[in-house]
Formats: sequence, structure tokens, C-alpha cells
Amino acid sequence: MFKRVIAGMQYLFGLYAPGRDLSVFPDDVFIVSYPKSGNTWTRFLTGNLLCPDRAIDFSNINQIIPDPEALTCRQLDVMSRPRVIKSHQYFDPRYPRIIYIVRDPRDVAVSQYHFHRKRRLVTDGSSVDHFVTRFVAGQTSPYASWGDNVASWLITRNGRPDFLLLRYEDMLENTVRELARVASFLHIQATAEHLANAAGKSSAAEMRRLEKSQSHLWSSTRDTRQDVPFVREARSGGWQTQLPTSALKKIEAAWSGIMKYLGYELSSPEACEGVASGLLEGTLNEALR
Amino acid sequence: MIYGAKLTISYLLGTDIAGRRIAVFPDDTFIVSYPRSGNTWVRFLVANLLHPTKTVSFANIEKFVPDCEAKSSRYLRKVPRPRIIKSHEYFDHRYPKVLYIVRDPRDVVLSYYDFERKYRHIDDAYPLPKYVSDFVAGRLSSRGWGTWGENAGSWISSRMRQDTFLLLRYEDMKEDASGAVQKIAKLFNIQAEEERIKMVLERSSAQRMRQLEERESEQWVSTRGKRADIPFIRSAVTGGWRSKLSANSIAEIEDAWGPLMKSLDYELVSHRAKTNASHRGSEYQLVTTRG
Repeated sequence: MFKRVIAGMQYLFGLYAPGRDLSVFPDDVFIVSYPKSGNTWTRFLTGNLLCPDRAIDFSNINQIIPDPEALTCRQLDVMSRPRVIKSHQYFDPRYPRIIYIVRDPRDVAVSQYHFHRKRRLVTDGSSVDHFVTRFVAGQTSPYASWGDNVASWLITRNGRPDFLLLRYEDMLENTVRELARVASFLHIQATAEHLANAAGKSSAAEMRRLEKSQSHLWSSTRDTRQDVPFVREARSGGWQTQLPTSALKKIEAAWSGIMKYLGYELSSPEACEGVASGLLEGTLNEALR
Repeated sequence: MIYGAKLTISYLLGTDIAGRRIAVFPDDTFIVSYPRSGNTWVRFLVANLLHPTKTVSFANIEKFVPDCEAKSSRYLRKVPRPRIIKSHEYFDHRYPKVLYIVRDPRDVVLSYYDFERKYRHIDDAYPLPKYVSDFVAGRLSSRGWGTWGENAGSWISSRMRQDTFLLLRYEDMKEDASGAVQKIAKLFNIQAEEERIKMVLERSSAQRMRQLEERESEQWVSTRGKRADIPFIRSAVTGGWRSKLSANSIAEIEDAWGPLMKSLDYELVSHRAKTNASHRGSEYQLVTTRG
């Protein structure tokens, strides 16, 4: 009861972080991704694109591209509009415009494993295979499983003008090209120089440098292990050396359809034989029978 | 502020409607569908299947299969476990076991139109084509549940291949109701012999549910105080849209959700949507064309 009273008072005065309960305005834009898929990088890129005269860092990122898990309702309600908001939520029908970043789930699993080490949720040297079993079941994140999160957005929104799909791997390959797509989605007239500047100010090296001096200023790195970095390798394909075959098979068996749909080549196609590719086709007929 | 205070007090007392805030237990089963897709029928089927010695009716259905959008958090916490809960929510990753009913959106829109009139959200003069546009855009009372495509798509694409998810098409249920009950029985790990299935179907028939509604509409939270001249249990038929929807309305719906409808075996009839769907069919199948 006492807990409910406190929660009730916080609720009454808007002094809680709303997360999924955020009040959405019709002119909001959301930067959405599953955790560990390049969301922070995209926030920096977009922030530097929106405010070319300012350098985005970990101390001001929440003022430019707020995180509804870190700020209170009250702070979020009075921000200047239109807001660009960070989110890890799976499908929410209220989000009006969405930039969705997707990353190879095999790399996401590796990154999340290290992030959990940083947050002391798993110990160094604990079984990656066991972690991946929980990862596939959606037990390592409050934002549903990777497949749930990605599929729920793609099926409902992909292909629409209010939805921009970015692949982390494409962003790595050609940052400026992908950032130009973000700029046009946000109706920002950006010159090549402007784009290159924003990309430079958001490079992995620069973000690592900022993290070193500012990790205590940012909600996502405060009170975590300082010997494990938040900004990690920032590359793709790390899974090839870091995931045991058994773990790979679990991921590919669970999400082969979505992975193929997104162009992530399977390492063991024979393990996924008979599983149709795509978000729906094939599997659906089978299930209806 | 006043609104906030009212909410706060109802939250403190646990009298707030649970909805998406419902506390989920690991042994819960949810009967989920978009509104007007046969959810009430399935609630009756499930209640009659699980409680063969009881008489299930509108007066007590909330006891057997409570509605998380009509009941309070406190009420739902006290329902004996394992609970079976009715919901119209779009994808919620916490639901452990889900029975999802999907129905042709062209029939759903007709049923929803009558329902909105019954609830006095719109009056009788409200043009059906205008309502179809509302339905496609997710306006009026369906807003919180996403559009038909968002609701069905978010559940099906995320949960399809899991054995804790049972997808039933309303049309298949109409065609082979006992087959559907068998599938439901399997989901609940019940051995149902033919005799029991027959009884379940009789007790949940549209005719019987209509009789019950006539007697008990003031005893059920979903029909109490609503217009009595429009029934909650409607025709319970499939394909009514073929004669009742205009070609434009049909095209509007098929344009919005063609590929998903096609995957669910709902035949597309408008020329425009057919071309679009075969063109956009790749949407669910192939690598996206980026850029």
C-alpha cells in the first residue's frame, strides 16, 4: 500500500520516467531500435545533424534526443517541439514517425552479453551459450525478444512514408549516405559538408573519447563497470569469432525468416531448411492448417 | 490535474481498468483478437469447455474469462489461477500463452459499424464509407488497439511459430467449429471427446447466445446501458461485405492491408489492391529495397 501511495504521488506530479507510457504528440519522431543496435550512435548522428553549432556529448544528449526511460514525464512534456525521441519499445501504434535501426541479431547478442557484464548482470566468463538461450527467449531485455521487436515494427510499418528503416551494417559501410536518408526523412536540407561533419563528430573514436570523460554524467553508464566500455567495437560480424556454433544455431533457427528478409546471411542454412523466409509467408499457411 | 488526481485515486484503490497495465502471471492464457472478430464466441466456447458443469451466460462470463479492458486491476488480481483473460490489445510481449482470433477485416468493419452505433459513438446517419475510412486510419474507439492490420500483424509476425500461440481464423471456425474446439482443447491440454465438444458448441451457438443476450444484456458490462435495438450478437456470418460494402470501401481496406490479408487467405477482389499486393507481396518475403 505504501509503495502504491508513493507511486501514486509520483504519478500525480509526473515525476516518473514514463517509458512506454510516454504521452505522444502528433509531431514526434522516434528513433527506435532493439537495444545494442546502434541507437546511441544514431542519436549522436541525428543530434549533430539537428544542432550543427553544438557538439553532442553524453551530458547533453538527453536534452537533444530525450530518452523516456531516463527523463520524467514533466521534463518530456515541456521539451521544445517537434521532439525527436529515443526508444527501444516494440510496436506502439501511437508513434507517428519512426526511424528504425536494425542490426544482425548475432552481433546484438554479443553486444548485449558485454553490456550485461558492464551492468553486472552476468559475470565475466559466464556461458555465452546460456546467455543466447535466454536472449532468444526474450529474457535478457524488457523490450521483448529481438524477433518480436523487429517483426512487430516491420510488419506494421515497413514500406510506409512515415517509417525509415536503417541497417546498422549499412550505416557502418557508408555513414554519410545513410545519414542523408535520415536528413531527408527529417526534412533537413543538409550539404555534403554538413553530413560529413555530423558523421565525424559522432565517430566511434569520438564517442569513445567522450565516454571516457563523461560516463558518470549519463544515465546508461552511471553506476556500471568502468572497465567495460559502452561504446564497444562498433563493427559488424563479430559474432563469427565470438559466438559458439550452438548459439548461432539457436538464433538462426528462431529468426531465419526475418534475418533473410533483412539480408543477413545464415551461417548454417541447412539448420533452417523448410523454414520459409519472410515475415509471414509460408509459416502462416503451415500454422493455419 | 483533476483528471490526474482521479486516476491516481483509482490507481491507489486498484479500481482502475487494467487494460495494458494488467499484471501478467506466468500461467495466464489470453484470448486476443481485434474487436468484432469472434472473441465473445470463443470466450463462451472456452468457458463451456473448461466448466462443463456450469451454465455459462453473459451474467457470469466475466467470472470465467474476465475482460481486462472492462475489469479493474484489483478484480483481475483476485481471479483464481490459472486465469484465462480476454483482451483486444495489440502485441504485448508479456502474454505467456495466446489464442488469437483473426477475421476478414471487410466483415470486421461492418460489425464494428453496428457496434459503434450501439455504443452511441456514432449515430445511424453516419455514412458507412466514412466509417470505413475511420476504421482504416484507426480512428474512433479502435484507436487504443491499433488498426486491424497493426493488431493482427503485430501478433502474428512475432508469435506465429511458437507453440504457446494458437491462431484461429473466424471463417475456419464457422466452417468447422468442432475442429476449432479441438484445437482450443489441445492448447489447454484437455482431452475432449466428441460428446463434450458437441455440448460446448450447442451451449455457445449464435442462437443460444442471442437468447442469452436478450435476457441478460443489462447484466453484462459490455452491453449494459447501450442501445438495445442493435444486438451485440449480430448475424455471425462471413462474407457479408460482398453485398454491403461499396467497391471503393473494399479497395480502401485492401489497399491498406492487402499483403497481410493475402497471407491470411482472404481473397483480394479489388483490381488495384491485387496488382499492388503482387507487386508489394515481396514486402514480407524478400530483402527490402533500401534507399
